[in-house]
Amino acid sequence: MSKGVLLFCFDTEHTRYHRILERCVRLVQKNISKNITVITDFKTYSMMSPMGHINYRFIEPELGNKKNGLEWRNVDRHMAYELSPYDTTLVMDIDYLPFSDDLAKFLDTRYDFLVSKEAYDLTGRDSFDLRRYSMIDMVWATVLVFRKGPKAKRVFDCVKYIKSYYSYFLELYRIRDRQFRNDYAFAIALEQANGFISYDTLPVRLPTLPPDCEVVAMDEVGIAWRHNDQINHTKNQDVHVLNKDFANV
Amino acid sequence: MDIRELKKQSDLSYDTAVAKRNALEKAHSRQVMAYEGHLFRADAETICLVRTLKESLDTFCVLDTNHNPVEITDPDDFLGKLIERNQESLNAYKQIYQTFTRKG
Repeated sequence: MSKGVLLFCFDTEHTRYHRILERCVRLVQKNISKNITVITDFKTYSMMSPMGHINYRFIEPELGNKKNGLEWRNVDRHMAYELSPYDTTLVMDIDYLPFSDDLAKFLDTRYDFLVSKEAYDLTGRDSFDLRRYSMIDMVWATVLVFRKGPKAKRVFDCVKYIKSYYSYFLELYRIRDRQFRNDYAFAIALEQANGFISYDTLPVRLPTLPPDCEVVAMDEVGIAWRHNDQINHTKNQDVHVLNKDFANV
Repeated sequence: MDIRELKKQSDLSYDTAVAKRNALEKAHSRQVMAYEGHLFRADAETICLVRTLKESLDTFCVLDTNHNPVEITDPDDFLGKLIERNQESLNAYKQIYQTFTRKG
């Protein structure tokens, strides 16, 4: 049974995602797995520094999605099933920085599909819990684990279908965000593919830094951020950074 | 009352409280462990349950974090791993906690 990590990375006009990828890959190699596959395009690949022995697969990213008015190349996640060369795959956003080996254990499980339903606000404001923005529980597709088989394939096929008719599903589930979000696409797919009852989830909350936090320092073991003129930091704890300006730190 | 000093202390207390909360969250996350392809939380409840069942049964079923039943065929091994993970996470939390108490 092969196991590995799948990452998607596409530079945009405004954000040099390859710089975030380089940091993420170092941490994945150190803490999770040496088996890494990066899905990217030639333009982004040409900007990357050498990162050791990792696999690359090239696709042309689908364009058109935007976040806060800026281009957002995030709509290819539904292809993870076909693109992954592994039997058990951990798919991560590259802005999820694994400073610990906490995610590695999920590769040792036999669940068909796992995703987290909760994020943990590292600034202590619980800003991801205040209210719901849809009729459906959102999942955090930031980190997901799947084992190749009919059940996982059904989920990914369902995501493809939902993506094709996304505006319809936005209305059906009264989702406030108008742009395509993997979080909602996977949440809907998991609901539908699992008979609208329940599904297996990752039993962890994803530690997350809200977008109004500025990353001021980062090394191999942790990250420090500024919020409201106060500095705080974590060490040996995973962090999902929502402010993409940290590519330049 | 020196308001400036009070604000400084308040800010420090806030930072400490957030850091302590984050360290506890890290410990909770650390307590999740994979065993026989399933996920379990190495917390006090699981440890007590496994220890109690082990006293009267050679093999038994427990629920994983997603409420799936799992047969435990080697209770000693399972309990040992639960305790190891539990203490590893709490010792790490204790180390961080001690840095807070030093700061006041």
